[in-house]
Amino acid sequence: MKRILLLRGAELVVFGLLAMIPLWVVNPYALGLLTLLAIYGILLIGLDVTVGYLGQVNLAHVAFLGLGAYTAGLVVTKLGLGMAPALLAALAVGLLLGGLLALPALRLEGPQFALATLSFSALSTTALNELEGLTGGAQGLSLNRPPIFGQVLTPPLFYWLCMALLAVVWMLMRNLLASQWGRAFEALRDSPIATDAMGVGTYRHKVAAFALGSGLGGLAGGLYAFNFQYLQPQSFTYDLMIILLLGVVLGGRKSLWGAFVGASVIVLLPNLLSNRLLFQVFSGLGFAAALAAGLQGLYKKTTRPFQALAPVVAMGILVVGGLFVPNTEDWRKAIFSLMLFSVVVGLPEGLMGFLAIFLAKLFRVPHAPLPEPADIDAVLPLRPSDGTPLLVIDDLKRYFGGVKAVDGLTMTVRSGSIHGLIGPNGSGKSTVVNVISGLYTPTDGTIALRGVVLPSGSLFRVAQAGVARTFQNLQLFGELTAMENILVALKGVYQSSLPMVLFGLARGEERRAQAEALALLELIGLRDQALTKAKDLTYGAQRFLEIARALARKPDLLILDEPAAGLAHPDMLQQIAIIQKIHQRGVSIILIEHHMDVVSELCDMVTVLDGGRIIAEGTPEEVKRHPKVVEAYLGQPPEPQLDGGPAPQPA
Amino acid sequence: MNAAIIGQMAISGALMGLVYALIAYGFQLTYATSKSINFGQGELVMVSAFFSLTLTNLGLSQHWGLGLSYGLMVPGGLIFGAIMGLVVERAGVRLALEQKSEGWILLSIILGLFFFSAAENIWGRDDRPFPTPIPEEPFHVLGLAIGPREVAVAVGVLGIMGLIELLKRKTLLGKAFEAVSADRDAAELMGISATRTVMLSYGLSGSVAALAGILVSPITTVGPTMASAIILKAFSVAVVAGLDSGFGVVLVGMFLGALESLASFYLGSGWREAPGLVLLILALALRPTGVFGKATIRKV
Repeated sequence: MKRILLLRGAELVVFGLLAMIPLWVVNPYALGLLTLLAIYGILLIGLDVTVGYLGQVNLAHVAFLGLGAYTAGLVVTKLGLGMAPALLAALAVGLLLGGLLALPALRLEGPQFALATLSFSALSTTALNELEGLTGGAQGLSLNRPPIFGQVLTPPLFYWLCMALLAVVWMLMRNLLASQWGRAFEALRDSPIATDAMGVGTYRHKVAAFALGSGLGGLAGGLYAFNFQYLQPQSFTYDLMIILLLGVVLGGRKSLWGAFVGASVIVLLPNLLSNRLLFQVFSGLGFAAALAAGLQGLYKKTTRPFQALAPVVAMGILVVGGLFVPNTEDWRKAIFSLMLFSVVVGLPEGLMGFLAIFLAKLFRVPHAPLPEPADIDAVLPLRPSDGTPLLVIDDLKRYFGGVKAVDGLTMTVRSGSIHGLIGPNGSGKSTVVNVISGLYTPTDGTIALRGVVLPSGSLFRVAQAGVARTFQNLQLFGELTAMENILVALKGVYQSSLPMVLFGLARGEERRAQAEALALLELIGLRDQALTKAKDLTYGAQRFLEIARALARKPDLLILDEPAAGLAHPDMLQQIAIIQKIHQRGVSIILIEHHMDVVSELCDMVTVLDGGRIIAEGTPEEVKRHPKVVEAYLGQPPEPQLDGGPAPQPA
Repeated sequence: MNAAIIGQMAISGALMGLVYALIAYGFQLTYATSKSINFGQGELVMVSAFFSLTLTNLGLSQHWGLGLSYGLMVPGGLIFGAIMGLVVERAGVRLALEQKSEGWILLSIILGLFFFSAAENIWGRDDRPFPTPIPEEPFHVLGLAIGPREVAVAVGVLGIMGLIELLKRKTLLGKAFEAVSADRDAAELMGISATRTVMLSYGLSGSVAALAGILVSPITTVGPTMASAIILKAFSVAVVAGLDSGFGVVLVGMFLGALESLASFYLGSGWREAPGLVLLILALALRPTGVFGKATIRKV
């Protein structure tokens, strides 16, 4: 409760103060700056969705600002409509074009994505310049601020409109980003493969996030047009884009307050540069801060030397340069770049990220209390293990060029059983798992779950069909907590539609989801670590969490890809116990494993692969004595007298 | 439309396209060793061109004659480019690579912005001519007019690319380069310093950028914004061709050069940049690894 009061209270106080400003400030210049603050606030909240939550360097946001501004301008000047339709149109153009750009661009990662968005920006500037009949080209486009609902907008009224929109955007985004959607955005930044495998639909979420961010860019553009009442294509170029990135990074990613702080910095920058004294004071403070942080980092050995010293050098250049340069305005790009450099290197979490930790300590803000775990029987109902065929694989083949990784595999997994899949390295186990789970498309053959053919070549659709898997190389969402990792995958709880989520009407659902997630954490013995980030868990705990996350899919079939790999002995025993518990609940499991003792202890049935083909099948005891298995593992036919002796252990 | 005009446009466009290919090749060099590229490469081209111009003027003021000062300037410019490349690697790329983050994208953009601002203030905002001993008068082959400066571009581009490829294949250092490209960790285990190899690639990439600046300046003039259009097209070429095919960038570069020269002829010069951008977005949508790039198999 204290937490809610503090957080909401801070928002209310800030917005309340901002709303009252026009009552006692009559200076039109100051009011203009505050109006810009609101507009940039909306713009940066939009940019933060891609840069912060999706973790991609998005260089197209400035284009959406421009396109939104021109859309609003044209709706008013050419169509003669009012402000409300103009703003709606600007929002719609951002959403639509953002979605269109995202469709191809978001199949890309990192540098390619940055390049694609950069090209889109350049293309949009070209179009605004060259479509002279529509936009007036380089001459620019003048427009008037039309009345809204019959009310002429004086500067204070327009300011209130912008602030009100910022408050609305703030509230909606807060609800959205704290919901299943926001978590999915963050999850797919950490591991797109895992989000697909958890049935979240990586691509769909990415496109939605990008379209949403761009829509906010468009809306901000509409307000921008009515604020300046004059538009030029060259206002929306690379330079402004850099400044916007500066705002998001400096303010702090993944934070509404960060966007707000960033917007304030952007608005104040020009004044900072034109006033010599202010600039020197500011750069001096920056230098002192960088020096203090750097020395502390070096002393405590929490940062690398470069990370500690580079910001000091950059801020030092800023201070010394400021003394010699005749006109700081001429050097504004260099000044931006030095500031941005210092922040990116020295303060990767941004000002708000830094402040948030500090304030949380100061006010002792507790985490919202967690609900009691749900009953595990409700989360994962006991299923009858009737031994009927569950997964039927028929003559499955997967070739990579000339390599026959899987060459004609036919096997049946029975309902309620643990089916082991073993074989020496390179025998094709992992390929089989990747084909079943949809990462690879089979070259030939079919896979059916309960008689229904599984979709091929799509992790997402296979996951939707009821198959969940873990990964040999862990694919956890490192920046999310253990509980959030499970929430992302949780099936069957989140039913609310997007508008409900946006207006914060889905909180009851969130509590139920948390209760279920805690039940699963209890099952694997990690309930007390629910709020620990996955990347900070011990290696063993991470392996357990992967299983709990897959279980959150409430799957018909669970595929465990080497769940004991790299585990110390005590952890391995715990892992075996966890798998047995899951088995007792009637979940059918395919287990890929190297440790023969794990296989012997757990499996009802074992299939042994070598060279992409089955060489043996049966109970663990039968398989261990099978001459071909011994040969595959030890490389020679067994001595006759060894038959019936102790089981050979694989290396 | 007259076939001769189309041919003429295509040829001179294609020769200019080799400049894009050269810059794109610079991206490939660093991408091979570190999976990173310098987003401020255009600023490197521009700063190196300015520096080379200063060197040339220095020589001219000593009455060395244009030929001699130009000849002495070229190595100076290349060394300057290499140093700038190393600065980018040290300040912008290394930390991000160590942290396995994509921070280098933002940091290399930031460094480029700093170089841009510095150049603007040191050398001024105006475009300046770049003196060259190579004549401007075109000669005629099969009815097509070909400028010697454009031929110089082609010779320079193909020459340095051939040289670097030869070094990569024939020298021990080149072998180390290839080894780090193929598998960074394995190369480190074999005693090759991946950090030094990445430095080498950034140095080479900087030199290549400097050469691109030196070759293109006599044709376009030197100014702070000289590379802002070129670099976008170099990005397009690198992505369309794929970030691992040296042969591909030459082909795609020439194709794009010809295409844009035709586009500006038919659609108006304002649309000059459009084909490259459209081509890039199309290539990304249809074949993200590039036309000549190798498709990779996702592993988990």
